[in-house]
Amino acid sequence: MSEQINPFVQEDGKKPTCMQMLQIILDEQSTEAQQEYFKAHMDRCMPCFKTYNLDATIKELLKSRCCGGEAPQDLIEGIKQRIDQERPQ
Amino acid sequence: MEEAPRQTYTEKQKNEVFNNEFLPLVHAMYNFAYRLTLDRDDAKDLVQDTYMKAFRFIESFQTGTNAKAWLFRILKNSFINDYRKKSKEPNKVDYQEVETYYNSEDVNRQITADLRVESLKDMIGDEISNALNSLEVDFKTVIILCDLEGFKYEEMAKILDIPIGTVRSRLHRARQLLKEKLSEYAREMGYKNT
Repeated sequence: MSEQINPFVQEDGKKPTCMQMLQIILDEQSTEAQQEYFKAHMDRCMPCFKTYNLDATIKELLKSRCCGGEAPQDLIEGIKQRIDQERPQ
Repeated sequence: MEEAPRQTYTEKQKNEVFNNEFLPLVHAMYNFAYRLTLDRDDAKDLVQDTYMKAFRFIESFQTGTNAKAWLFRILKNSFINDYRKKSKEPNKVDYQEVETYYNSEDVNRQITADLRVESLKDMIGDEISNALNSLEVDFKTVIILCDLEGFKYEEMAKILDIPIGTVRSRLHRARQLLKEKLSEYAREMGYKNT
């Protein structure tokens, strides 16, 4: 079986480390080919599998616990009022 | 962002840009401001200032480009120039150290071994939020931009005025610091380390 082409390899031909691949995936900067490659890689690489699961869990928790709040209504009203004052009459 | 040629908008167009592109982002902006200032009133002031600046400089915004990145950059700069000065504590990040850290896979593995998915799932209180808030501003900011707001490396580089390589290494270090903090919480919750 021929070795699958690694889509993480950069133009300079440098092979990325596990950690570099993991970060590109985690930071959601990856292409589809990279995601597929990494998925297959995780089946063979226990440290990547573990780290990915942990980091992905943290990322999910961050999203669910640290955003999604609403700005106070008086802030929005305040902005609108001040902008109205700025506008030429 | 700065390179964008100056636009000419009619008053009607200005209002449209402001109301349709800028105002809907107020919730994300407020969240960012609150995470930076850790004070609800300061966050409100910071967001209001940002919107006033955005309105005054609306002609340097090009429609069709990323309004969110443009506004986040103004907010970040306002925070550094107007708010961070008030804080007595200097914010220094040793980037030499960041690079060294980045190249050390052992450190990564060690922290990872400490923290487990199961203990994270049991953190149902404010642990995650507190851990994020506890990070030094530069590290907190990259986590917010990447994980909460989904910006790309290139956009983050523009918002923060730093090279993409620095965005990456800062993000990497920020994740490690966050994990260290979460490991502390896990230990307090009684999880044994391996």
